Amino acid sequence: MDTLQHLVSGFAAALSPAYLAYAFAGCTLGTLIGVLPGLGPAAGTAMLIPLTFKLDPTGAIIMLSAIYYGAMYGGTITSVLINVPGEAASVITCIDGHQMAKQGRGGTALGIAAIGSFVGGMAATIALVLVAPPLAQMALRFGPPEFFALMLFGLCLVSGLAGRSMLAALLMTVLGLLLAMIGIDPVRGAPRFALDIPDLYDGIGFIAVVMGLFGVSEILLAAEAPVRETVRSKLSSLLPGREEWRRSVGAIWRGTGIGFALGLIPGIGAIVPTFMAYIVEKRLSKTPERFGQGAIEGVAAPESANNAYANAAMIPFLTLGIPSSPTIAVLMGAFIINGITPGPFLFQERPDLVWTVIASFFTGNVILLALNLPLVGLWAKLLHLPFQYLCVGVLLFCVVGAYSLQQSVFDVWVMIAFGVIGFVFRKLELPLAPLVLGLILGPAIEKSLRISLEMSAGDYSIFLTRPLCLGMLIAAAAVLAGAALRLAPQSLREA
Amino acid sequence: MAFTAFGYSLRDALGPGAGFFPFWLGTLGALLSLALLVQSWRGRAIGEDAQALLPRGEGARRAAAMVLSLVAAALLLQPLGFRLAMLVFTAGLLLALGVRRPLAIVIFALLSSFGLFHVFYFWLQVPLPIGLLGI
Repeated sequence: MDTLQHLVSGFAAALSPAYLAYAFAGCTLGTLIGVLPGLGPAAGTAMLIPLTFKLDPTGAIIMLSAIYYGAMYGGTITSVLINVPGEAASVITCIDGHQMAKQGRGGTALGIAAIGSFVGGMAATIALVLVAPPLAQMALRFGPPEFFALMLFGLCLVSGLAGRSMLAALLMTVLGLLLAMIGIDPVRGAPRFALDIPDLYDGIGFIAVVMGLFGVSEILLAAEAPVRETVRSKLSSLLPGREEWRRSVGAIWRGTGIGFALGLIPGIGAIVPTFMAYIVEKRLSKTPERFGQGAIEGVAAPESANNAYANAAMIPFLTLGIPSSPTIAVLMGAFIINGITPGPFLFQERPDLVWTVIASFFTGNVILLALNLPLVGLWAKLLHLPFQYLCVGVLLFCVVGAYSLQQSVFDVWVMIAFGVIGFVFRKLELPLAPLVLGLILGPAIEKSLRISLEMSAGDYSIFLTRPLCLGMLIAAAAVLAGAALRLAPQSLREA
Repeated sequence: MAFTAFGYSLRDALGPGAGFFPFWLGTLGALLSLALLVQSWRGRAIGEDAQALLPRGEGARRAAAMVLSLVAAALLLQPLGFRLAMLVFTAGLLLALGVRRPLAIVIFALLSSFGLFHVFYFWLQVPLPIGLLGI
């Protein structure tokens, strides 16, 4: 009953003209970010944080969340029309979506993607309303050892699932955690590894790092690549025909289920749910040979999974304070900038904020659908923007964004340095998500480990005698063992 | 980092000290790097073709122009102020990327420097730097 009351008050606030306008602006900017090649949701959201400085915390979070799920949809447009995923989660959509565009069915592909995203987003948000409060209640009983084990589990998942080499992913996680050690010790309050540089006392600016790793490096890589041709597909028929509807309905619901379930697991990333949704559809299909040739289920399922995942990933974030992806980590940074700490206490301390934000996910998903179906032609036109202007514009926004965070040129230098580092890492195929999650979770994981050991007077068995903690540690070990086994035969083949 | 962490206390009267976590992380990082190095030597390199790492030709020139422009922008941001620094950055980078339409460059550079300053400074009230010339 409490939940319903909170949700109703949340809707009352979210439907106010100001918050609706923020959600609308966020959806528009998010879709723009998703559409523009060379700018993913993580960098885009980070870059636009300064736009929310003047807003109240609730308005700022509503707008940035809308940018996040807007960008998750926007990536589809480039996947379908130019075979370039606007963001990583849309990689799978390229396979059949681009084939559909080549066959003159690009409009239908984008239409079903918008509808699937809407269904996925709405269903996941309804589930969020039902699942989040009891989960937050349960998490209130977590002590530092459980939080340590949970964060370790999340980092192991990221390391186990990212990239081709688990060793490399683990190294990236450790690198992220090490970078997080720079600055003030979170337990004792003394500066560490700051090299007597005052700017480093506050640590390395997380948002500036994300802008560099995902924004600048992406533009540098794009500068190398040859310019791609846009498919001038017929975009008049957005709605699928009867047969296409029949094929899509099941795919949309199955994709939603997969996206939601996987969104609950911290650290799994956005690619896995879309990939799984695609594979499931192909396996279930009586005509699997159509996949890769423009099968509409190949667009409907991953796109529904993508948005269901994006909304479900808010559950571990809001209730446990664990970001599942670099973009959610950026949102976490935005929460912190606004003086709000995501986690189980959020539902108790700021129910007004959290329920208004959740209600805004509903309004945002409606706005997104309304924005995307009629405006898809306009978005498609943006793909014809000259590359040079696009690059300069993105880099310019990165500079303004990085500087505005603390009115410090130091953050601009951090962004440039991590842009070059990100460029090199991408070339070396070193995954960036583990580094980013390590960097944002570093202080919290260190704090929970050290407080746990203070509680037990240095006895490590504290992690083994608490059942929940032990369960999560076993799960973390199982993830790493599973990943090692999965990669081992490949390693032997290649050796 | 593990070596520096050793200099901070690994343990104090209350429990693990400031150096505890970074020391073990640094050690783990060193071991992982070593393992990755061994793996690469055994023929399973992460970036098998080192030559492919370096951008070449036109791509290299464009990427280098971007990095150098960003460095110049960061250096000029405070002495010249946001508007002039970004004017130089935008116009310079567009030229370096091969745009040869003077009017388009001027309009884009003015809008993205003076226009963006107006939006951030006056509307969003983000204090962007004003340079020695008072602009």
